[in-house]
Amino acid sequence: MFSPDRYEFFCPVKTNSGSRALEHLPFELDTMNATKPFVITSQKDARRGLVDVIIDAFKDSGVTIGIFDGAPAAPGMKLIKELFTMYRDGGYDSLIAVGGGAVVDTAKILNIAVSGAPEDIERYAGSDLITKPLKPLVLVPTLSGTGYESSRYACIDTLSFSSCFLMPHLVVIDPRMIVFEDVETTAAASLVTLTHAVEVYTGPEKNPLSDSYAYAAIRFVMENLVSVIRDPRDGKGRLALVNAHNAAGCAFSNSTPGMAHRLGKAVGDACQLSWGLCMGILLPHILERQTSEDGYHIPGLLLPLAGFDVYAETPEHMKVQKAIGILYDFQRDLFEASRGAIVRSLKDAEVPEEMLRDIARKAAGRSSTGFDADVSLMVLEQAWKGK
Amino acid sequence: MNLPGYYEFCCRVKIIAGHDALEKIPDALAYLRARTPMIVSDKGVAGAGLIDIVTSAIKDGVTIGAVADDVTPDSDLQVVHRLARLYREKRCDSLIAVGGGSVMDTAKGVNILISENADDLMKFSGANALKRALKPLIAIPTTAGTGSEVTLVAVVKDHERHLKMAFVSYFLLPDVSVLDSRMTLSLPPAITAATGMDALAHAVEAYTCLAKNPLSDAHALAAINLIGENLVRVTRDPGDKNGRLAMANAATLAGIAFSNSMVGMVHTLGHSAGSVCGVPHGVCMAILLPYGLEYNMHKNGHLTAELLFPLGGAQVYAATPEGERADKVIALVRRINEDLHEASGGRHPRFFREVVDREGKQMVPREKLPEIAKTALSDGSLFYNPEDLDYDDFLMVMETSWEGEPLERRKIKKG
Amino acid sequence: MGTIREVKSGKKSLKKDYVAIMMWFMGRAIQAAASVDRDVRKEFAELPDRFTFDLCVMPDGPHMIVGKDRKGYVRYMGWDTEGKRTNLRIKIKNLEAAILMFTFQESTALATARNRLVVDGEVPHACAAVRILDIVEVYLLPKIIAKLAVKRYPLWSPGRKYIGRVFVYLRTVLGL
Repeated sequence: MFSPDRYEFFCPVKTNSGSRALEHLPFELDTMNATKPFVITSQKDARRGLVDVIIDAFKDSGVTIGIFDGAPAAPGMKLIKELFTMYRDGGYDSLIAVGGGAVVDTAKILNIAVSGAPEDIERYAGSDLITKPLKPLVLVPTLSGTGYESSRYACIDTLSFSSCFLMPHLVVIDPRMIVFEDVETTAAASLVTLTHAVEVYTGPEKNPLSDSYAYAAIRFVMENLVSVIRDPRDGKGRLALVNAHNAAGCAFSNSTPGMAHRLGKAVGDACQLSWGLCMGILLPHILERQTSEDGYHIPGLLLPLAGFDVYAETPEHMKVQKAIGILYDFQRDLFEASRGAIVRSLKDAEVPEEMLRDIARKAAGRSSTGFDADVSLMVLEQAWKGK
Repeated sequence: MNLPGYYEFCCRVKIIAGHDALEKIPDALAYLRARTPMIVSDKGVAGAGLIDIVTSAIKDGVTIGAVADDVTPDSDLQVVHRLARLYREKRCDSLIAVGGGSVMDTAKGVNILISENADDLMKFSGANALKRALKPLIAIPTTAGTGSEVTLVAVVKDHERHLKMAFVSYFLLPDVSVLDSRMTLSLPPAITAATGMDALAHAVEAYTCLAKNPLSDAHALAAINLIGENLVRVTRDPGDKNGRLAMANAATLAGIAFSNSMVGMVHTLGHSAGSVCGVPHGVCMAILLPYGLEYNMHKNGHLTAELLFPLGGAQVYAATPEGERADKVIALVRRINEDLHEASGGRHPRFFREVVDREGKQMVPREKLPEIAKTALSDGSLFYNPEDLDYDDFLMVMETSWEGEPLERRKIKKG
Repeated sequence: MGTIREVKSGKKSLKKDYVAIMMWFMGRAIQAAASVDRDVRKEFAELPDRFTFDLCVMPDGPHMIVGKDRKGYVRYMGWDTEGKRTNLRIKIKNLEAAILMFTFQESTALATARNRLVVDGEVPHACAAVRILDIVEVYLLPKIIAKLAVKRYPLWSPGRKYIGRVFVYLRTVLGL
């Protein structure tokens, strides 16, 4: 097994997952010395009755909670400042973010403000500028996430933040909250998760600790995504996917984003497509490219992708080919299970071919390490055509 | 991947590993806003020259406030108090624990006193009695086995009042654990073997007992794989730096796995044999591990079978029919014990009757087995074991593991 | 723009009453079993004098207090913790976790594995308490349910099981 000469790893997240997980919240808050949490969620999740589940979970606990259920899809600094005032005036001492995406970004950034002052937000925008732990932040994820909820990243307006202190202290995955979302949302977060976990598992910063989180995430996505897309009633599968989102968020926070991540984002941003869809299309093409480069660990990927038996049966020199083949098969299975909604090429995603050069140039410009515009363009052209 | 009905998982310890990881300590301390650490260690560690390695690696970056290298083998309350006084006198602002389990426990105890500015440790014993972060604590393990660099438990003994105090809190987790190959390079083969088997027992029980979960499973699988590939090798070739680092990684991974999913009967009996006869913990683990797997086979044989992949490797796994994999795992664990016995010049015992102290005297006389079985009834790890054991069951396991015979499957009561 | 609403913690009276009744019954059954069953008697005999333990739900009950009185007899001591010193407290983290246990969806072992219990006190005492609870459950419950509640259903003689069960039930109901 691969054991690198040096590495660092840190994951402050505690994970509680399974039946009646929410009812453990009062106890968990007490261990963090918090007594009055401020719950943030979206109108959509409130309408779906998810807030009622939270209220019910706090029954008999003696804990009073504040609920704000108006977090919009695109929050701004104005909202953060209003929330800051509500938090301060209400005497709250901790945050609970219910949902995914913007709700969680809002909570993470609000946490910077309530742990200090609202002015801190601009000051701490950037990478690793926060220097001390923030207030307890609990994440109660749903299936509507983006795959970034447990990670060290957050953004608002034009500001983006990266710090391990932004990661939630506790993630409570409760089956009652993991209701089905539409096919695109479900697939997008899980494909972001798969991409992140695969890039951690195969990338130059591979180490046994981030591998453990990545391994769990990849297994869960490979075992459950197709079946959840095919049959949304698969509750256990949905729960496993959210476990995967969480584990991959932890792993991803410990490594430099890889090429599939960067190119996927670039394509998504340029063409108003979901990042997950683009990353999912690009991933096998990029891995194919990386097999010939130094510093990547592609053969071992077969293990989390396919499990013990397939890995053990596949001869050493076939492992790379097999792993990438499995990812193409996975694209096909998703395409079929979603009745064509999850496409397999950038062409089918309606990315104009003439934009590829521009996207490649932009993505390479943004990247600090590794790949240049020519390589990016080659990969994009392959992914445009599809397998 | 198995997803249980409910699980919890947490390891907030930052891991810094490498052949030159010690050199990163000053930065890690600065990040924690500390600059005057007190080093806590014991005579054995200091005698092996490890404190010198640590101090020369960090002295340019920090002021070492104090060095206390006289921690006693079972974390004593008096020592905790004395070190807390020293810490205050020297105006330190953080702790660096260099050593094994008792050094870690002592440092955690000291950290409670100095952070809470308290005189009575007892007030904080039990589960979750701590409510806020303690002073920065950096753990540097010097054996690859106990995993206490990543556990949230500390045990301190009050020898005057004959009390054993246990502390359980996430705040007891060290802030940083530093795994450096130089810390284990000088470990003698027998200790390398026993501590490595301790790590293996952690990982195997984490994977096969009742509180297993997907994240602890992933850590356990990685640990078992590293141990399968490296333990016998480094016991034969102690200077193998890469093997040493791999084992340090394995012990930490196993520590993370078991502190989140707990352990079963191997530890139940191991703790008892340790407390009744003073057998080193790792030795108990090495001897008992195959018996725990045999005893629980009717409950968790399918999980044991899966471990053939990480322990034996892909080829052995593929070559063994599904129905024989669990037995093969048990045979492999016994085989590793045999190899370690040979690699350590016979110092690594395979059964309890082989365990001797420094004078060569047998440590576990046969007539002590009933007392060990009785003591086992009072150990909490039994809760996490898949099958129940009463006094007779414990005694049966002790008798067979004393002789070195395999368990007779038909004698295991299945309810 | 949204506003915040504050929600005070409500009550789950029905569930709480159910757990309270089960605990009352269990407490009296332990007292009964201590005079009927030799293993329960032996477990209590090995615990310290005046040993008292409290099985309770966090944050504020219900409680089940059982202990040895001055003469060493095992007594169910009610649900009121006022003025009682307990050596051991087994706390169930929340009411829903207690419901899972007292509807036999989760055994003591499973609840422990799922981190739903907190033990205040010495571990050897907690081990003894759990063994006592297991035996009492075997008396009280039909095999099909007791098998869910205990790890290994014991192989008792029909005499111990059936005659013992009659006595435990009689004494529990009569409060002897």
